[in-house]
Amino acid sequence: MDIVVLVKQVPDTESLIQIAGDGVSIKTDDLKWVINPYDEFAVEEALRIREAQGGTVTILSMGPAKTVEAIRTALAMGADKGIHINDPIAEGSDSLGISKLLAAVLKKIPFDLIIAGMRAVDGDNYQVASAVAEFLGIPQITQVTKQEITGKKIRLNQVVEGGVAVIEADLPVLFTAQRGLNEPRYASLPGIMKAKKKPLEIKTVGDLGVDAGQVGVKNRKVKIAALKLPPTRKSVMMIKGEDPAALAANLVHKLHEEAKVI
Amino acid sequence: MANVTREELPFDVLFVGGGPAGLAGAIHLKTLAQKKGMEIEVGLIEKGDSLGSHSLSGAILDPIALKELIPDYLEKGCPIESDQCRDSFYFLTKNRSFAVPFTPKYMHNENCAVISLSRLTRWLGQIAEGLGINIFPGFAGTRVLFGEGGKSILGVGTGDKGVDKAGKQKSNFEPGVDLTARVTVFGEGSKGSLIREIGEKMRIFSIGMPQIFETAVKEVIELPETNPFLTSEITVLHTFGYPLGMETKGGGFLYKMKDNRISLGLVVGLDYEDPLLEPRQMFLKFKRHPLIGNIISGGKILQTGAKTLSVGGYYTMPMLAVDGALFVGDSASMLNSQRLKGIHTAMKSGMLAAEAVIQAFEKNDFTRKTLGAYEIGVEQSWINKEHYQARNFTQALSQKGILKFMHVGAQYFSNGKGMKDPISIKEDSATLKKLSKNQIEAAKIEEKPEYDGTLFVDKLTGVFLSGTQHVEDQPCHLLVHNTVICETQCYEEFRNPCTRFCPAQVYEIVEEGPDQRRLVLNPSNCLHCKTCEIKDPYKNITWTCPEGGGGPKYSIV
Repeated sequence: MDIVVLVKQVPDTESLIQIAGDGVSIKTDDLKWVINPYDEFAVEEALRIREAQGGTVTILSMGPAKTVEAIRTALAMGADKGIHINDPIAEGSDSLGISKLLAAVLKKIPFDLIIAGMRAVDGDNYQVASAVAEFLGIPQITQVTKQEITGKKIRLNQVVEGGVAVIEADLPVLFTAQRGLNEPRYASLPGIMKAKKKPLEIKTVGDLGVDAGQVGVKNRKVKIAALKLPPTRKSVMMIKGEDPAALAANLVHKLHEEAKVI
Repeated sequence: MANVTREELPFDVLFVGGGPAGLAGAIHLKTLAQKKGMEIEVGLIEKGDSLGSHSLSGAILDPIALKELIPDYLEKGCPIESDQCRDSFYFLTKNRSFAVPFTPKYMHNENCAVISLSRLTRWLGQIAEGLGINIFPGFAGTRVLFGEGGKSILGVGTGDKGVDKAGKQKSNFEPGVDLTARVTVFGEGSKGSLIREIGEKMRIFSIGMPQIFETAVKEVIELPETNPFLTSEITVLHTFGYPLGMETKGGGFLYKMKDNRISLGLVVGLDYEDPLLEPRQMFLKFKRHPLIGNIISGGKILQTGAKTLSVGGYYTMPMLAVDGALFVGDSASMLNSQRLKGIHTAMKSGMLAAEAVIQAFEKNDFTRKTLGAYEIGVEQSWINKEHYQARNFTQALSQKGILKFMHVGAQYFSNGKGMKDPISIKEDSATLKKLSKNQIEAAKIEEKPEYDGTLFVDKLTGVFLSGTQHVEDQPCHLLVHNTVICETQCYEEFRNPCTRFCPAQVYEIVEEGPDQRRLVLNPSNCLHCKTCEIKDPYKNITWTCPEGGGGPKYSIV
């Protein structure tokens, strides 16, 4: 079973996020970068499938030089090899551009299964994985919390509003990982040492045969007009009172007089 | 944990702790080894989830060690906030401030630079990685590997990951690893948990002279572009007096950084006597003092943090070398409290340790006999020169009333000898005075601090702004040995000072009925400052390393 996992490097959600001077991007000086948490579920699931059935796990990612840290982390968890699309021409691509590049890599390598996180916690677009499946012409199943492979068939639990849909498809497919799929393993110290020696290929837009006029910041079909931070968190106010009736009265008073919502 | 097989991962040299001491040591070692054509495999572990994430300091850097280590540090992009250190020094009363016309020579900072230690550490980490040093952030050393009879050190074991609250293995359990090395260099920072274990086994600390500490609470604040302070002459401001008064050691600092930011903090000596004193509350009072309040008006807190400083100095330095191991940085009491600086001495100590390690490899002897060259190195270096004349300084400041000024004055004119040499001192855990009835009554009328959520935030918002996070489902890393003491004796005598000295609301006492109360711990708030282990009057708290990767995520403090 050849499995490819799509991985994105994103700012740690605990990082200090500040909007840059241009108003449409964030300051990156003091950010810590991590593997997108949903992609960690994808890596873990791929490793479990490989452990059960044999095969290889390849990590595919796109981004500037530092992206290699995310790939190495996945290799340290146990993946076998990495492919890194690193080309200044591609920087700033929108979801469509990124998907084209990822699909171009996938068209050239064998795979039975592609797994990705259901969304990246930075851009929150939910688009890249689906678009890759479209470009490859394979089935896609999103928001998966369970999978079972028997022969050439895969059976998946997909989270839908208020319940679960059980889906079957013939391999190869692409599915995206939702929280609950598994608990990702840690990258171990020996794993980190071994990861340094695992193969990692670097690809440019030229290598992939993708038209440079379809990728990069200049060729975005979606442009960010402005970024805004969420409203700052206010301190919590504890309502005081002798008994439930007094507590309720004080709460109503505060909602009416101070918050002016009732 | 039973039935766990631990892999052994051997290195030639292992650094424990990725602060300025360990990183400078590792960089110097690798550079020297390369020059001499020696192959030395170096590993470095850091409990923070990345290098710099647990590094916090004022900070004014004397670049003397950095220049020795990386002469072209500026060309290599060393992150400097400002190389213009123009000192000002104020004495504060509640509402007024007085510029002190004479600042002692050790407080002059020309030729120094304002930095963010978190940034500097991250940058040093990149240099270290470039030299081929194996850096492992997110791995906490939790066990010292002792040789036979506990007479030598063989390395450090890392903590297990994926263990639940009850101590059971979770599905992602990952056993710790035994990292072995010919030499292990410990640079755990202030109040390390491994050096504590070594101290107990190998008696490396002097018995008569306990280490003493201070707790620093700090924020980085962004000022509006129109704030007049940004264009003022002042870049470095220190204060003493209010809100601590003259009986409690410590003072405030305010440094101008890049990008309209300032670094603001208050340092409180942990030998304070009043159990009701709350360091973080003192910091808020300091912020509201007119001198500071005017400067920071309109600002917004970007990041917060707290840490302790080991300030005992010269007489509290432990034995610096044992068979198989060396001790550097704050772990080894390298901070010079007189100059309010420890980064330069930490770095230099790491570098001197590296030089001794090279000798050990050349002689193929890793016992104290050869590694002891590090002790001699420290003695003959400028570290010792600085430290020797400051040898009684912090101890003098711990004295009460007019006596402290007599001591400090006498030391100033006698190269540190002063009126008594050495001045003896109590442990910080022994200085609290029991509360009187009147004090307890007075304490009931609580001062209500006001918060605006931007420039003044409550403790929990402060925790949020430090980025602190721990895996929730793990064993509690704070060992409170006897909670009955907390709920009875400590309540009666001190009203549970842990609830006040902890800057992150880790400790709470919940009233459960008339004369019934319970200690509740919030270990995931912990900023890893270790004030609790230092100041608890019953020595009832032991701080252990939580799962690697947990703790604050500092980036600009």
